[in-house]
Amino acid sequence: MSDASLSTARGTGALRDLRRLAFFTLRRVLALFVTILVGVYLTIIIANMGGKVDELRELQIRSTVAESVRADPSFQTMSSEKRNELIQEQVQMEIERRNLDEPFIWRSFDYLAQAIQLDLGRAEEMHSDAGSRDVYDIIVERLPATLLLFGTANLLVFFVSVYAALYLSRHYGSRLDRLVIGLAPSSAAPGWFYGIFLILIFAFIIPVLPAGGMVDIPPPENDWAYARSVLSHMVLPVIAMFISSIFISIYSWRTFFLIHSSEDYVEMARAKGLPASLIQSRYILRPTLAPIITNFLLMLIGLWSGAIILEQVFNWPGLGTLLFQAIGYRDTPVIIGGVVIFAYLLAVTVFMLDFLYAILDPRVRIEGGQS
Amino acid sequence: MIKRTVWLLAGLILGGIALVVLMGQENTSDAADNAEDASGVDVSDRRGALVDEVVFTQETDVGKVAGLIERGSHQVFAQGVTNTTTFHRLQDSTKGDYETAYGSNTELTLNPAEFESGINPFSNRRIREAMNWLVNRRHVAEEIYGGMAVPRFLPMNTAFPDYARLAETARSLELKYGHNPEKARAIVREQMRELGATRRDGKWHYKGEPVTLRILIRTEDARNQVGDYFANLMVDLGFEVRRQYRTAEEASRIWIATDPAAGEWHVYTGSWVSTAINRDVSSNLSYYYTNRGRPDPLWQAYNPSEELNSIAKRLQRRDYSSLKERRDLMARGMELAMKESYRIWLVDQLSVIPRAANVSLAADLAGGIAGSRLWPYTLRYEGKVGGTMTFAAPSILTEPWNPVAGSNWLFDTMITRALSDPPLVPDPYTGLYRPQRIESATVTVDEDTTVKRTLDWVSLETRETIRVPPEAWIGWNAERGDFKTVADAYPEGTTARSRTRITYEEGFLDRQWHDGTEMSLADLVLPWILAFARADENSPYFDPAHVPRFQVYQEYFKGWRILERDPLVIEVYSDQVMLDAETIVAQQAMSPQAWHTLALGMMAEKSGELAFSSNKADANRIDWLSLVSGPSLDILKRHLESAQDRDYLPYASVLGDMVNSEESISRRYQALADWYEQYNHFWVGDGPFYLHSVHPVEKTVVLRRNEDFPDPATKWLDFSEPEIPELALNGPMMVRHGESARFSLDITFGGEPYPREAIESVEFLLFGSDGAMQKKGKARYTGEGRWQVELSESTIEALGNGSNSLELTVTSSRVALPAFASHAFATVPEGTTVMEATDE
Repeated sequence: MSDASLSTARGTGALRDLRRLAFFTLRRVLALFVTILVGVYLTIIIANMGGKVDELRELQIRSTVAESVRADPSFQTMSSEKRNELIQEQVQMEIERRNLDEPFIWRSFDYLAQAIQLDLGRAEEMHSDAGSRDVYDIIVERLPATLLLFGTANLLVFFVSVYAALYLSRHYGSRLDRLVIGLAPSSAAPGWFYGIFLILIFAFIIPVLPAGGMVDIPPPENDWAYARSVLSHMVLPVIAMFISSIFISIYSWRTFFLIHSSEDYVEMARAKGLPASLIQSRYILRPTLAPIITNFLLMLIGLWSGAIILEQVFNWPGLGTLLFQAIGYRDTPVIIGGVVIFAYLLAVTVFMLDFLYAILDPRVRIEGGQS
Repeated sequence: MIKRTVWLLAGLILGGIALVVLMGQENTSDAADNAEDASGVDVSDRRGALVDEVVFTQETDVGKVAGLIERGSHQVFAQGVTNTTTFHRLQDSTKGDYETAYGSNTELTLNPAEFESGINPFSNRRIREAMNWLVNRRHVAEEIYGGMAVPRFLPMNTAFPDYARLAETARSLELKYGHNPEKARAIVREQMRELGATRRDGKWHYKGEPVTLRILIRTEDARNQVGDYFANLMVDLGFEVRRQYRTAEEASRIWIATDPAAGEWHVYTGSWVSTAINRDVSSNLSYYYTNRGRPDPLWQAYNPSEELNSIAKRLQRRDYSSLKERRDLMARGMELAMKESYRIWLVDQLSVIPRAANVSLAADLAGGIAGSRLWPYTLRYEGKVGGTMTFAAPSILTEPWNPVAGSNWLFDTMITRALSDPPLVPDPYTGLYRPQRIESATVTVDEDTTVKRTLDWVSLETRETIRVPPEAWIGWNAERGDFKTVADAYPEGTTARSRTRITYEEGFLDRQWHDGTEMSLADLVLPWILAFARADENSPYFDPAHVPRFQVYQEYFKGWRILERDPLVIEVYSDQVMLDAETIVAQQAMSPQAWHTLALGMMAEKSGELAFSSNKADANRIDWLSLVSGPSLDILKRHLESAQDRDYLPYASVLGDMVNSEESISRRYQALADWYEQYNHFWVGDGPFYLHSVHPVEKTVVLRRNEDFPDPATKWLDFSEPEIPELALNGPMMVRHGESARFSLDITFGGEPYPREAIESVEFLLFGSDGAMQKKGKARYTGEGRWQVELSESTIEALGNGSNSLELTVTSSRVALPAFASHAFATVPEGTTVMEATDE
């Protein structure tokens, strides 16, 4: 084959690969989009109990208005008829303000259309702590607190467990290995459970750490003092999360590495007398990088949701608390806002992973491609 | 390598803990140090608050409260706690203590409707009434509520003034409806048979089917156990019971929203809350027992007797000519309400408001600390002056703060109350208003109106007709930008049912706002104009959400005028008349608001960037105005610069005469700019504290003492504690016929005799061995807090032989809560040997 025909064949091959890649990308994007669409709409339906929530909210409005009128002495001298008329007017106004006079099915499509366009809109009941009604502001205000706490704890758990697991996989059956396996069931209890004990011990019995909150009361005016204060408030929740996840995490990674450590090619490397560090990095870590990265990325996007109970226990102003409040208020836009961002993050991550796998593992190819 | 990394991380974690341990120790000692530093200051020279700083923070976990107080990191938890564990822990604690509030109650709401299918036992009036005998309220209060409740029988709170006024009736009704399950069973048996039910194997059946009661049991609090207790009683009576455990929302779908005749429920464990002492609960009968109470289906099923309906209507319309007539109507209404028993009142719940043992402050008898207007004036450390105090509340900064239509959440208003200084403040123990910034007031009412005056700062007059002067302002013409006078509105003239002349204290308008600027008449008038403008479609401040409530105000309001400027004297005409003259003054007295901060809000609303109310903000998809945080601040800052540039004064044509001088306008804006620069918010008040900082995400608000506050710090300290009379009743345990008997009552408070002038009445009821009331009367004062009841020979004779009970009721002008004492004694035939011992 001449050079020209070879280069033409290569060009045609590259074009075909690109076409395949584009087709694959489009198919994945479409599939993920449909997944988001279905997921978000299901959230809308569930969060509103198929429209039943409207009924509850109307009742809540009615009770709140009636009680506020009853409690106000300036309405006491009004005739009952007028008072009831006033209640009715106020109720109607609140219903209209929340668009509850519009059928839920139409509102559900509005919610969906806005969510898909990432237009988070306005909350119906809640405000950001600073006073904004925009869902974006409400979420963004709480994001740093969540990222800081859960990012610290999860990164700590992730790296400690991966490195500890590698170490244990090399010292399989050692006393430390047996200890970690023995402690693995301790992860059956969630972080908040340990949190309660930690608060009891370190905030009340030996009062050396704050019982909750994100910063001292009142917050220090100096930036360094503020940072130090946040750090001291992070200690207990981070330890609680660390204790609750570390042993099971080490255990599962250790098992994972052990399986890979007994692969033929690893045995072959050992037989060749290669150094342990080389075997670890090239023969064990390299082929297992895809699941490690998948796990890492899913852990990162998992930060988005925070942890409702843990944040409640530690009075931490994060996204978990926010979601808890939103559910309590039945504030659909805030609930949807939280979910839709998570859905998009998840979709983007999954999409990115498809390509990362191909880069990390040469065996992974688009259907029909050459190995 | 790995091993080293693990050890390094472990070391880092341990090091971090050690570091924060040291920091934590530093922090916890701060608050105590501050208080110590401030000790030694002479209180007599001090102005305003007795502490230097109050920090509010959010704490949602009630379980932590006692621990935080004991640890010293928090001093007050603003919410009433009904958790018995916390209560007992506070009782046992040396560092913790508590205030009590009686603002909530528990009752059983009965469904009185006749069902479309099957029978509803509670549609029968006598069965409903019998439930009063069936339930043991003492058991509910002491066992279910763990002592954090007092039995309640009537549709009025036992801590409110009307209960004290009707103490005699209340006591006799309470004795009449005391726990008597046998009587209840007998009535139920008789009435169920009349309804056509039969009893088989101990169970009630109707048309061959067991009679099943659906009891809606609220699950969030002790009503869960109350519901179970009542359900068990019903099972014992022979009913099948279906217990439906529901949260507030789930239950309201059933008991409020459904047609009661549909038979979806029979009993609901209800509860009602009052956040302040209500001095006039006469409308309760209409609210709880007639279809005028609420438009909801359950209320429409109420069909009380003609007499109860008419009494309830008259009381609501205040259709009585004297206080005695009102009392008689109330007494009869209470009797009839017990017979009707659409509700079985069970207990008034006591909520405890945890605080540190070394902290003292005035808590409202109904609303606790959050409902108290006097907390900022009375808050202090025992034996210390100054220092920092930390309050926790379940939620703060819940909604944006602005003085026009901002957050009205309980704990937000609790904080903002400390930032303003109202003309009158309600007494936390009686609900009666007392003057804070006014010298005196005269209330003139129609001759046919019943109004009561209690305190001597207000005088009460009656007139045949009260004519409203034509020059009085009755409204605001937004188009013309001018006041609407009574002459404009009523060319023929008009009358009002009341006139309130209020004389503010000397120098009222010479005081300063927190930003250091002097007050002016414009601060008093602008909020009033704005209230009209917000209800006027021609105004840029028009807000449809404001209209319904404003119309109510307008319906009664008949005009006002300024009689003098120094001292400020105003006269307000209204058709709204309350039972207490003091309350009328409080309703009519106008409070100033800093016009320059209002002006910024008005500019932002006019430009369509912000709105004072949530409703308008949502309708226009803009932000709800907050003077203290969030995106509003930048917008307001921009408007401040613009206002500064042109010395903007809203409604300058009328307010121009009311500001102190031309220069004062620019001075105001400059001071506000400096204030914003320093504190980063626009909340400028005149209270004993100023707003130092707001930390929205950290949910922390810091207030600091206003050192320029005009009043001495000790002004309200007499109101730090409710002076509930403590009674000790002594007398013979046996009395022979043919002899008289003397019983002595010691009324004290804190071991000291209760002042004679503070005692409103000491009344007694004498009950014979059959439980019937034999005599009632008043005790006689014999000096030094001691009162005496003397029963004559003939009274003793009339009692016959047996065990009797003497019940005493004491009402005080210092606290709404009446005090009760009882003494049991036996009457025996003449010649019987009588033991000399007395009991207490």
